[in-house]
Amino acid sequence: MASLPQISSLKSASGAPRRGRERRFGWINVPFVAVVAALVSYGLLVVYSAVSVDPDYSFSRQLAGVAAGVVLMAVVWRLDYRRLGEFTNVFLIINVVLILLPHIPGLGTDAGMGAKSWINVGMQVQPGEFAKITVILLDASVVARYGGKLEDAGEYLKALGYILVPFACIMTQPDLGTGLVYLFIGAVALVVGGARPKYLLITLAAGIVAIMCVFAVDEAIKSSTGEYKLLKQYQRNRLFVFLNQDSADLSSEGYNLKQAQIAIGSGGLFGKGLFQGTQHSLGLLPEAPTDFIFCVLAEELGFVGALVLLALYLALILISFRIAMASNDLFGMVIVMCIIGMWLFQILENIGMDCGLMPITGIPLPFVSYGSSFMVVNFVLLGLIGSVWSHNATMKR
Amino acid sequence: MFAAILAASIALVITIAVILGVIVFVHNRKDGSINVKKPVNAIRSVGVHSTLSETAKRAATDAVARDAAHPSANAQPSGGLKSRFWAMGVLVAAVFGTLTAKLWSMQILEKSAYATESEENQFATVYTPAPRGRILDAGGVAIVGNRLSRTILADPDVADKPDVVGRLSAVLGIPRNVVRTRIQDASEGAQSQRVVASDARMRDVAFIAEHSDAFPGVTVQQRTVRDYPYGALAAHVVGYTGAVIDSDLENVQEGRDLQPNDVVGRAGVEYVYDNLLAGDHGERKVMADAKGNVVEVVSETQPAMGSDIRLTIEAPVQSVCDEALAKLIAPNGVIGTGTGTAGAAVIMDVRDGGILAMASYPPYAPALFTGSVDQELLDVYDTDESHHPLLNRATQGLYPAASTYKAFTGLAALEYGFADTSRTWTCTGEWDGWNTGAPQKCWLKTGHGTLDFRSGIVNSCDTVFYDIAYQFYENSDKVGETAMQDYLKKYRFGEETGIDLGGEAVGRVPTPEWKAEAFRDQPEEAGWLGGDLTNMVIGQGYVQVTPLQIAVAYGAIATGSLMRPHVLKDVVNTNGDVVVAFEPEVMGTPDVPMKNLSVVRDALRGVTVENAEIAQQFSDRGIDPATVACKTGTAEFGDGDDYAWFACYAPFDDPKYVMACIVEEGGGGSATGAPLGAELMAAALDYDEGKLKDIAKIPGSSGTSVPYTGSSSGRTD
Repeated sequence: MASLPQISSLKSASGAPRRGRERRFGWINVPFVAVVAALVSYGLLVVYSAVSVDPDYSFSRQLAGVAAGVVLMAVVWRLDYRRLGEFTNVFLIINVVLILLPHIPGLGTDAGMGAKSWINVGMQVQPGEFAKITVILLDASVVARYGGKLEDAGEYLKALGYILVPFACIMTQPDLGTGLVYLFIGAVALVVGGARPKYLLITLAAGIVAIMCVFAVDEAIKSSTGEYKLLKQYQRNRLFVFLNQDSADLSSEGYNLKQAQIAIGSGGLFGKGLFQGTQHSLGLLPEAPTDFIFCVLAEELGFVGALVLLALYLALILISFRIAMASNDLFGMVIVMCIIGMWLFQILENIGMDCGLMPITGIPLPFVSYGSSFMVVNFVLLGLIGSVWSHNATMKR
Repeated sequence: MFAAILAASIALVITIAVILGVIVFVHNRKDGSINVKKPVNAIRSVGVHSTLSETAKRAATDAVARDAAHPSANAQPSGGLKSRFWAMGVLVAAVFGTLTAKLWSMQILEKSAYATESEENQFATVYTPAPRGRILDAGGVAIVGNRLSRTILADPDVADKPDVVGRLSAVLGIPRNVVRTRIQDASEGAQSQRVVASDARMRDVAFIAEHSDAFPGVTVQQRTVRDYPYGALAAHVVGYTGAVIDSDLENVQEGRDLQPNDVVGRAGVEYVYDNLLAGDHGERKVMADAKGNVVEVVSETQPAMGSDIRLTIEAPVQSVCDEALAKLIAPNGVIGTGTGTAGAAVIMDVRDGGILAMASYPPYAPALFTGSVDQELLDVYDTDESHHPLLNRATQGLYPAASTYKAFTGLAALEYGFADTSRTWTCTGEWDGWNTGAPQKCWLKTGHGTLDFRSGIVNSCDTVFYDIAYQFYENSDKVGETAMQDYLKKYRFGEETGIDLGGEAVGRVPTPEWKAEAFRDQPEEAGWLGGDLTNMVIGQGYVQVTPLQIAVAYGAIATGSLMRPHVLKDVVNTNGDVVVAFEPEVMGTPDVPMKNLSVVRDALRGVTVENAEIAQQFSDRGIDPATVACKTGTAEFGDGDDYAWFACYAPFDDPKYVMACIVEEGGGGSATGAPLGAELMAAALDYDEGKLKDIAKIPGSSGTSVPYTGSSSGRTD
């Protein structure tokens, strides 16, 4: 493992000028924090509406998640992210341990959802969510070692190998949705880290071939044993529903998609009004506060409300983009770009599946979906971006 | 429109913002607003060294060397990585652009379709059945009414709960397996509750209500069901109702609002006037959640009862018809113990075509179709032993017309000059005009001797009519091959009478063309023979008529006009106002010289007056035989006894009513038909004078019969 080059920037870190102490709270990036505050408040509003009709969810738990997240964000913000660059192997180990935790008998549980993604520690926690932080750090620390030019095939494969470890681990649960998030983070890291386009294309082609192999092998398994083993039936259903949206029967998976689309479409321009959404208040939207939270928003606040959310995301992404581009070192830049990539993917997948653009998976919407684990994770990631910003003095005005 | 424009502008603003954002970043970079630009050679060296480095040691050395040389240099992205930022920027723009476009299409362009679906999701309309209108006789007596029935219903899944089924069985006194079968019966729709028992006793209902915990899925409803205060009275006219089945919902008549759980007319007036009888559903618009629980009642309208139908049927006359047939055929209530095995009678007002009474024996009680249908009895009704009570023999029974036809074939003979009042015939009891060596017989085997045309009808002499047919056949080149048939068709034989009951049989006037078609597969039998015509002229052979056709045709002899028979008098709405009244309709006026008509009318009166037995039947009932024109008939049909026909109209000078009746296997027309016909005509005339008021409750057929030994009356045409 020691064959990876050291991160070059770390050596000179202490020598970098620090002008961030001029004012007591000078380390706070005001536009960034303002957008985050607006986004989180907006999300809480929608979640409040969504959970108000469902006693299975607790709004105060969501608030607690935000509170914990804010504290963690502040702590991480103040940490110097550059110190994390050398812990590649530590991140790798943490990832493997976290993701494989649910396999420990007595600790892991499938929470009735079919995949062993949860652990029970007084409450049910999804370690795969927390691992997103270490996956980002792992991927960033791996590609940052190449200084922006990853042109040797052997090194590329080595980096790819590191990136694929968390994906391989999460597929043992199996949790394809989170696995795809890991892959997308890895892809962003490779692209931003300077991998040769040729390698990236070959990797993409290999991935497609691998997917086709999985289907082919699954088909072969079915013909010999009589049932599919590699892809679960619910995964096949979701894929079928996605590919046959008009003809899918209106039970279970098809029903979910149909009701999600009705909620969005019937919202119209201005929506039915906050707390006036009928689709979720009548229980027609399954998992409304978590996976289908966007439908609640689109139904109650309409196209305008949806655009406000998209605008807030865009603002957050653009500000983060700026921080990444102004970053003095590759490690920080890749971290921020990976975080942007993760958000982008989750936004696309979550809103896209509600609209029928993407297959249904259980990927939450950042800062909006109900669930304190993911809320805390997002705040930690915000803290990381803040750390990149505040530890790159050149960006400060 | 405004909304669309506004949304379009917002989308445009967002798109522009994305593009601007990307441009600003690129611009910033060109501006050098990012202060530290790393020397390009440093990047290059890092790249070269790290790609070339094979061992950790060399890499470390390089890094140290590089760092020493450029302390401030680090892996800051250079222009070489600019394209990757561009790629990310494009990706961001693509994701947000796609999502915005998709949301635009769903929330703006297709909004109304989704809004409709959302509406349908929220609101469910629950329909409450409306009571059907009543069916009244001409005097306003309800032959079919409504009553409330305590109905015990169970959810379909109760069938799988043996304990509940057991308790229902114990409380209601119905065998377990019957309870389970009724719950499993999905004829009222898969989702709907199933009828376990109709007309439950009050104390059973109370018990179930008090112990509702022990009866999950069981409910008690007050349902409006059809009520038949006079049992099977006019059963074949009023018809019956049934629960809606899927095929009904697929072909709903225009203007009819049909919902699952409704009741629709299946036969008779219930079927033909279903639209008028059916009321307007009560509609309860409710907001329901995904589990089907009612959250809120949005609006509610009360059901409106359907209109009442007033028939031309006079219940007291109908009652006499039904009872007379029952008394004759099944005096002990069992077919086979009286005279004949089945029968039909119809009385029509010749002035407007209104049907006073229409009976078919054996009758069914329409009540068997209400509540939980008595399937066992219906299965019995399917057997030949039951003599098919569901059949309306007055409009659907097809019989040889026998001698009742002679009035019309006689008119045809007068028309073509093959008979006239001066001509005479000699009857020896048999006739062999075709020289076959197998002579055709007159019903009176000893022969009628010499008689004229009038006597030929009065005595119903077959020989006279054989000769008439012979002349038609011999002169077919002059008068046409189907001259007689065409004449018969003037009286609408072989055609629907158009009565408003549905399912009417048309009968047959046999023609050479018909025979060729009917015997297509046996060419040697398919030729039209003289014998076919001599059979037809006495209403035998291939001739088929319904009792109603005979009644309508005799009405045309009485008045000169063919009236369209009908049972609807008018429609009365719930306020008691007549909304629709049936307009009498003349279907045709056969082109017959009054001279010929008078000859036949006089001959028909002669049948009453000059046949002592028949005259006696009428005078016994207080009717002067001279005021009645009639004709008997004895049809040879199948292997059993002859079928007895009788048709008459009265009063002779100012005809009011025409009556036609038939008794299957009843024997001779004068022996069996005449007494029955006289009784029915007397009833009509008595009612006209206000002397008949009683209405009896008529029992439905049990469906049982004993083998019939025959009328032993012999042919007394």
